[in-house]
Amino acid sequence: MSRHERWAAGAVALMLVAGAAIFLYAPTDYLQGPVQRIFYLHVSSAIAAYGCFTVVLIGGLVYLRRESLVADRFARAGAVVGVVFTTVTLVMGMLWAKPIWGTYWTWDARLTSTLVLWMIYTGYLLVRRLADPGRQAARIAAVVGIFGFVDVPVVHFSVTWWRTQHPGPVVVNDALPPEMLATFLLTMACTLALAAVLIAIRYRIETLSDERMHVAEEVKVITAAPEPRMAP
Amino acid sequence: MNPVRVAIAVARKDLKSEWRTRELVPALAQFVVLALLIGNFGFQVDTHNASAIAPGILWLALVFAGLVAFGRTFAAEREQASLEAMLMTPASPVAIFAGKAMAATVLLVLCEVVLLPALTLFFGTPLGGDVVAAVLLATVGMAALGVLFAAIVARVRARELLLPLLTLPLWIPFIVAGGQAVQSAMGLPGSYQEAMGLLLDFDILFVVLTSLAARFVLDE
Repeated sequence: MSRHERWAAGAVALMLVAGAAIFLYAPTDYLQGPVQRIFYLHVSSAIAAYGCFTVVLIGGLVYLRRESLVADRFARAGAVVGVVFTTVTLVMGMLWAKPIWGTYWTWDARLTSTLVLWMIYTGYLLVRRLADPGRQAARIAAVVGIFGFVDVPVVHFSVTWWRTQHPGPVVVNDALPPEMLATFLLTMACTLALAAVLIAIRYRIETLSDERMHVAEEVKVITAAPEPRMAP
Repeated sequence: MNPVRVAIAVARKDLKSEWRTRELVPALAQFVVLALLIGNFGFQVDTHNASAIAPGILWLALVFAGLVAFGRTFAAEREQASLEAMLMTPASPVAIFAGKAMAATVLLVLCEVVLLPALTLFFGTPLGGDVVAAVLLATVGMAALGVLFAAIVARVRARELLLPLLTLPLWIPFIVAGGQAVQSAMGLPGSYQEAMGLLLDFDILFVVLTSLAARFVLDE
């Protein structure tokens, strides 16, 4: 097993432990019933997504300052993984909202800002695909990543001003019974570990694809046809 | 070189070239009137619901007109490679960016000069200083972001695709606050003062941020 395969196996094992805690250890919610169990992974993956986008932000800032390829690869890896976790958050939230709120979607502050977050970083991934790879793509993406990070709290704030029905932060308000809190903290730790492993694997993929591009360019230079001789 | 004078010179150059060709503003004016026409047929508009529908149509028309306008800001520079020439002068990239943004703002305001009276004419909604002030405040921040991202995508292959994808999510704060301001100015519930305060905050935030980022976008 390679190093990355060992990490991946470890992350899968941790997620199984979290799953066991969610379904076997945590008590069933009195009001919401089993649907409430969505909460553990829903909130954890939202936090993991914010973590990933923080990696994109820092990677972008460091890239603009030093043109460091390592920082840019971390930003690329963070964006992909962050979009995955945002998608998980959105889908699980909708599954929870249907039985509890009676609708899959409502234009609540947190839902709106999470959707905008998803839009911004899928746009970020599109920029990476459409811009010419190399310095141009890295610079453009860095600026997009920085603006995206600033925009999300602003959207959240502006929508909260008028309407919100999303449940408030139950964890920091001490509203969870101890078993639920323990399950949540365990799930969050496992999800963050999973995110870290995914970023590490994605970083490796980005390194390899950079190297492949570099090699392809060298081959092009070496095998370029010699200039045709002028006829005497 | 005084950056303010550079910015004004760049803006004057852009506006003069628009004045000589008269391409963009007539096209945008026609575009927004067509958008109102579509809004009229897409909704069943009557005197009772006009004030509920008109703000939405106003913002839709303005956002898409803005995308068209900002997509054109670097078209001429790209076709004649004149941006590289401008960047070779000792003028600072931030000043050049500010000039482009000022010119684009003026063009969008000209388009609003057509849009707002046409909205009043077709939908019978009030056209007061409060509506105009809200739209103008939103225009400032939207133009700063729009021109920055137009500069970003100017050198990318699929720029027509990317500009809306990148710009629209970042414009949402302006649509939220501006939408609220126009709605309450047209008689719907909600606080006009709070919305205008937020618009002003967003303007300051994004004008500062875009000027900080302009160096990295233009300086190649």
